[in-house]
Amino acid sequence: MSKKILLLSSVIFLSSCATTSISELGDKFLDLINPSDAPAEVTDLSEEVFVAYDDSAGFTFEELEVLSNDELIEIAKEKGLEDLLKIDADGNLQNRDEIINALLEAEALLDNATQELQSLSNDALIERAEEKGMDSVIVSGELKTLSNDELIEIAKEKGMEDTLILDADGNLQNRDEVIKALTDNLIILDEDGNIQNKDEVIEALREGAEETKLAALLLENAGITSTLYFSYDDSEIDEVATRIIIQHANFMQSNPSFNLRLEGHADERGTREYNLALGENRALNVKEVLGLYNLEDRIVVVSYGEEQPILTGSNEEAWEKNRRVEFSYY
Amino acid sequence: MKYIKFFILFGLLASFSANALLEVNIIKSKEDSFPIVIAPFEMIGNFKEDSDIAKIIRKNLNMSGQFDAKSTNQLTTGPIDFDFYLKHKKDAIVLGKIRQISSNVNHAEIYIYDVLTQKPLYRNKIAFTNGALRKTAHALSDVIYYALLGQKGSFNTKLSFVTVNEEKNGKRKYRLVISDWDGKNQQVIIGSDDPILSPAWSADQRKIAYVSFKNNRSDVFVKYVFQNTNPIKLPKFDGIASSPTWHPDGKSLALTLSKDGNKDIYLYNFDSKKLKRLTTNIAIDTEANFSPDGKSIAFTSNRTGQVQIYIKNLKSGKISRATFEGRYNAKPVFSPDGKDLALIHRVGKDYRLALLDIASRDLTVLTQNKSDESPYFSPNGGMIIYSTNRDNKGILSIISLHNYQTVELMQKEGEVREPSWSNYSN
Repeated sequence: MSKKILLLSSVIFLSSCATTSISELGDKFLDLINPSDAPAEVTDLSEEVFVAYDDSAGFTFEELEVLSNDELIEIAKEKGLEDLLKIDADGNLQNRDEIINALLEAEALLDNATQELQSLSNDALIERAEEKGMDSVIVSGELKTLSNDELIEIAKEKGMEDTLILDADGNLQNRDEVIKALTDNLIILDEDGNIQNKDEVIEALREGAEETKLAALLLENAGITSTLYFSYDDSEIDEVATRIIIQHANFMQSNPSFNLRLEGHADERGTREYNLALGENRALNVKEVLGLYNLEDRIVVVSYGEEQPILTGSNEEAWEKNRRVEFSYY
Repeated sequence: MKYIKFFILFGLLASFSANALLEVNIIKSKEDSFPIVIAPFEMIGNFKEDSDIAKIIRKNLNMSGQFDAKSTNQLTTGPIDFDFYLKHKKDAIVLGKIRQISSNVNHAEIYIYDVLTQKPLYRNKIAFTNGALRKTAHALSDVIYYALLGQKGSFNTKLSFVTVNEEKNGKRKYRLVISDWDGKNQQVIIGSDDPILSPAWSADQRKIAYVSFKNNRSDVFVKYVFQNTNPIKLPKFDGIASSPTWHPDGKSLALTLSKDGNKDIYLYNFDSKKLKRLTTNIAIDTEANFSPDGKSIAFTSNRTGQVQIYIKNLKSGKISRATFEGRYNAKPVFSPDGKDLALIHRVGKDYRLALLDIASRDLTVLTQNKSDESPYFSPNGGMIIYSTNRDNKGILSIISLHNYQTVELMQKEGEVREPSWSNYSN
C-alpha cells in the first residue's frame, strides 16, 4: 500500500526532470549538460517549524498521525524524503498520508539494516566497517583515559587534524570534541581486537545502508532501471543505455546526498582477467556519459568481471543478463 | 647410472587441511606410455600414517601420461622373476624398502632393474622424518622419472587454486588453497566471502600473488605461503589492479592497472616500491606472463579490435603479435623452455586450451571443451594444468603433452578454478 503511494509521487517528480532531456537526445549529448528543468523549489519552512525527536528511536503510525503538516514536512526533509513532498503554492502539504507511509517505510528499512548489523559478530562488524572505508585504531584502555598528546597523535595519523583545536603551545583545546569525532569516525579496538564503540560504528554503517536502500526504493518506484546490458565483448553505450544513464544523471542532480558506485560485469565466456578489464570498460563508459553532467566526483567505478553473475548457467539467456553495469547508490 | 644419493626430507608440522578433498580421475588412454612395475615396498618398523608409498608413486607416474605403472600382488623379497615380467611386456621393475632408523627418522631405498638385460639401472636412498612420507614418495617419483626418461619430473611441486563453495547460509565462500601436485595435502591459505582470482607462485615458491575483492574492488595481495602473517596489499591504485605475474627474479611483479585511464601492464618493484609502465595502448592490455629468461612478456590485448596475444621484448621495447588464427586468443603462459605459449583459443562458441609454437606460429588445439581457462605449465613442461567445466561445475584438468592423457581434479561439492603450478620444491 505504502509502496504504491511512493510510486505515484516519485514518478511525477522524476519524470518531470527526465522527459525533455531525452527528447533532445542528440549525437553529442550537448543539450544534456545542463538540464534546465530542475525540481520545483520547495518552500523552506525550517525557520517556522522545529521538530525535536529522538533520532535513534523509530516512529509509529500513531506518533506521526498526530503531527501537524508542517512538522511532517520537516521530518520528511531530515529523512531525505524531500523529493516526495507535494506542497501547494501556499506551502500546504498536499500528500500527508503518502508522507506518513513513506516515513514508516523508510523506518522499516532502517530497522532491518540496524538489526542485521546488531547481529554481526565482532569480527564481521569490523570487516564490514573496514569495507566501507572506516579506519581502525587499537587503544589500550578507553579513549577517555588517553593523554591529550596521544589523542592528537591518533587524530593526525588518521587524517583528522581538522578536528583539532590547538593553542599556541600546541595544547589541545577541545578534548571532548576530539574524543567524540574519533569515536564517531574510527573503529576503536582494544588490544584483544574487540570493538569499543560498537554503537557508533553501527550508526555510521546504518547511515550508509539507509542511503543505498532509499535510493533503490526511489529508483524502483520511479521506474528507473538500475542495470544496463551490453553485447558480447562490447562496452559501447547505445541509445537505450544513454536514456537510462540520463535518468540517473537527473536523479543524482536532484539527490545530491547520494553517491554512485558503478559496477561493471561480464559473462563467463573468455578469460577471467580479460573479463575484469571488460567490465571496467563498461562501467567507465557509463561514467563518461555521467561526466557530461559534472557528476564524476560522486562516482566510483569497480569491476567484478565474470565473478558475480546474476544468472548462473552456460547459455545465451544467462550471458545476456550477466553482461551489465549496475548502478548502486550510497 | 649407478649411484647413491643421500638427502633428507622434513615433514611440514603444521598443516591444516581444506574441508573438501579433491578427487582425482584419470581419463583417456595409456597409449604410448612406458610399461613398468612398481612392487609394494617392504616396510621395516612401525608406521602409523597411511604408508603405501608405492601406490602414491604409481599414481604419480600414471598421472604424468609417461608411464603405465602396475603393482604386483605380493612383496618381492627373493630373486626377481625377470622372465615373468618380460612375458607381460614390462620394461622395468622398481623395488623399494622403508626402514625405520629411529623414532623420527626413516630411510627409503629404491632399486630399478631393466627387465630385458636383468641388470640394476639405478638405486637411491632417501632419509626422511615422520610426516614426510608423501613428500618422499614425490621425490622418489622424480628419481624414477629421471632414471628411466632422462628428464626431470614435476612431482615434488605444489599447486595453488581457488575453491568456491556454497555455505549453508547461501553465501559463497572462496578459498585460496595449495596442495601437492596430485591434489593431496591441501592447505587453505586464504578464506574469503569475496572472489579470489589469479593466484601466481613466485619462482622461489615462498609467495603467492593474487587478486581479492575483499575491499569491494579488485586489489592485488601477496601472501607468504608458509608464514602465518597477513597478506601484504600492494599500494592502492585508482581503478582495477589485477592479473599479477612474477618476474623470474621474484623481486618484481607485473600487473594490470587502470589508474591512468586505460588498462595497461605495469611492473612493480618490491625493493624500490616503484612502478614502471610496460604497455601504453589505449585498448585493454592484461594477462601478462614473463618468459623464463625474464626478457619478454606475453599478454592479451584487444588493440586491433580482436582479442589477441602479443609479445613485448622488454629490452628493445618491440611488441609483436603472436597469434593470428581465430578471433579470440587470450591468457598466454610461456612453457619452461620459452618456446611455446599455452593459451585459450576460441573455436566457434567454445574456448579451448591450445598450444602455440611461437617461432612457427603453429597452433594446436588440445581439448574439445566448451570453456577452458587459466592454463599453467608443470615446471618440466610435460603437462599443462587448466580449469574447465564438467556438468556445469568448475574442475581442474591436467593434460600430458606426451600423449594428451587427461587427469581431472574436482571437489564433490563446489568448484575448483584458477590453477597455478609452483616451481620445483627445495
